[in-house]
Amino acid sequence: MMIVQEYLEKINALLIEMNEVILTLGDYVEDVLKDKRGGLLPLTTELCRAAQMKEEKVQETCIESLIRLQPFAGDLRTIATSMKVAYHLSRICRYLRNITEVAEEFSLADCETGRTLSLYREAEEMVQVALRSYLQRDLKTARDLIKADESIDQKYREILRDLATGRHSGACILFNGLAARIIERMADHACYLANETIYMVTGERRIID
Amino acid sequence: MYHKLEVKNLSAWFNEKQVLKDVSISFPSNNVTAIIGPSGCGKTTFIRCLNRMHELVPGARVQGKVLLDGRDVYRDMDAMEVRRKVGMVFQKPNPFPNMSIFENVVAGLKLLGVRDKKVLSERVETKLKEVGLWEEVKDDLRKSGAMLSGGQQQRLCIARALAVDPEVLLMDEPTSSLDPASTAKIESLIRELKEKTTIVIITHNVQQAARISDFTGFLYLGSLVEFGETKKIFESPKNPLTERYVTGRFG
Repeated sequence: MMIVQEYLEKINALLIEMNEVILTLGDYVEDVLKDKRGGLLPLTTELCRAAQMKEEKVQETCIESLIRLQPFAGDLRTIATSMKVAYHLSRICRYLRNITEVAEEFSLADCETGRTLSLYREAEEMVQVALRSYLQRDLKTARDLIKADESIDQKYREILRDLATGRHSGACILFNGLAARIIERMADHACYLANETIYMVTGERRIID
Repeated sequence: MYHKLEVKNLSAWFNEKQVLKDVSISFPSNNVTAIIGPSGCGKTTFIRCLNRMHELVPGARVQGKVLLDGRDVYRDMDAMEVRRKVGMVFQKPNPFPNMSIFENVVAGLKLLGVRDKKVLSERVETKLKEVGLWEEVKDDLRKSGAMLSGGQQQRLCIARALAVDPEVLLMDEPTSSLDPASTAKIESLIRELKEKTTIVIITHNVQQAARISDFTGFLYLGSLVEFGETKKIFESPKNPLTERYVTGRFG
């Protein structure tokens, strides 16, 4: 029979695989925001499905470990949080796909997307830091990350204010507004993920906005 | 929250060997409290101190207080009164082998001098119904209790303990010798009994403690390491020793 540690290793391997999908999706989002590349939706949809299947696998593995091992305390918290982490990673995948979906709707050739790209890079870094903090049980990094979310929110509001100045075309306003909103939500999920790290390590539940 | 039973600075010895060290714990009324800990940590000694059974062992000694509704069971009450108010169910079902099912249930009542047949019959039916055994044995009340299955025998023993209306019920690993189906019935019964009784159960099965108890105490090397709500103890224990025990790292 597998022991808790073996289940956790299997689950963590799946989470890392999900993150590899996120990184690939991230490359495509960079292509959209930097090079205004279109036609990526079929590719990102396929990747998103792959991530969802991995999420399902994480849930199955967690449930099997709960049935077989009935873990408690730190083991229980780690298994329970793994299910949520997999969900957050899956949601982040969908957000990334959604950016490529929005890009299909508009002609971006003359759009200024530098601010949105910068926002995306910051959010993407937050996701990577959040997952690292989870896998390494790094409490300090997780706490710092949640505090850093304010910077993303501020930049998101700045983008909206800039879009409202009247110097952008309708298509650019819509694309940048929608993409920035999606990215802002992606950063929120990075914070939720960091919050799972805090619960896993300390056992303390905190509600974050 | 009212605490039916309170233990204050309890220590216990077998001759020179100290097996309990300054244990203080309060048992909330009408709740199930589980005492968990590895073999030899003092669980059984602890529970036997609560109804003065420890003193029956030659060379045994107790120091500290056990208060039942504020009365010291060692100083303010005689042993008979204590054991009537604080009933006990043991690890192995132990129906009196030469007695019928009926006689087993009323054995305690008879010791207290109850002789009225109508009262005794009513009590047998009530208590066997309480433990979910009535339908299974109502036509065999005159048969020996020893003829029942292990699970039925244990429920009979619980009915016997309940027959004198104890205010506290102590259970020393009551399902350790039972199959899963019988264990499930006893666990379900324990959850029901807490409506009327305060229950203290010893178990080395941490999953069982998590399933049935409202509060849990972790005993290690004769000392109470941690006590609290069961959800807290099994989700986020404060003491690293408790964490290591409930996750199976030792014990």
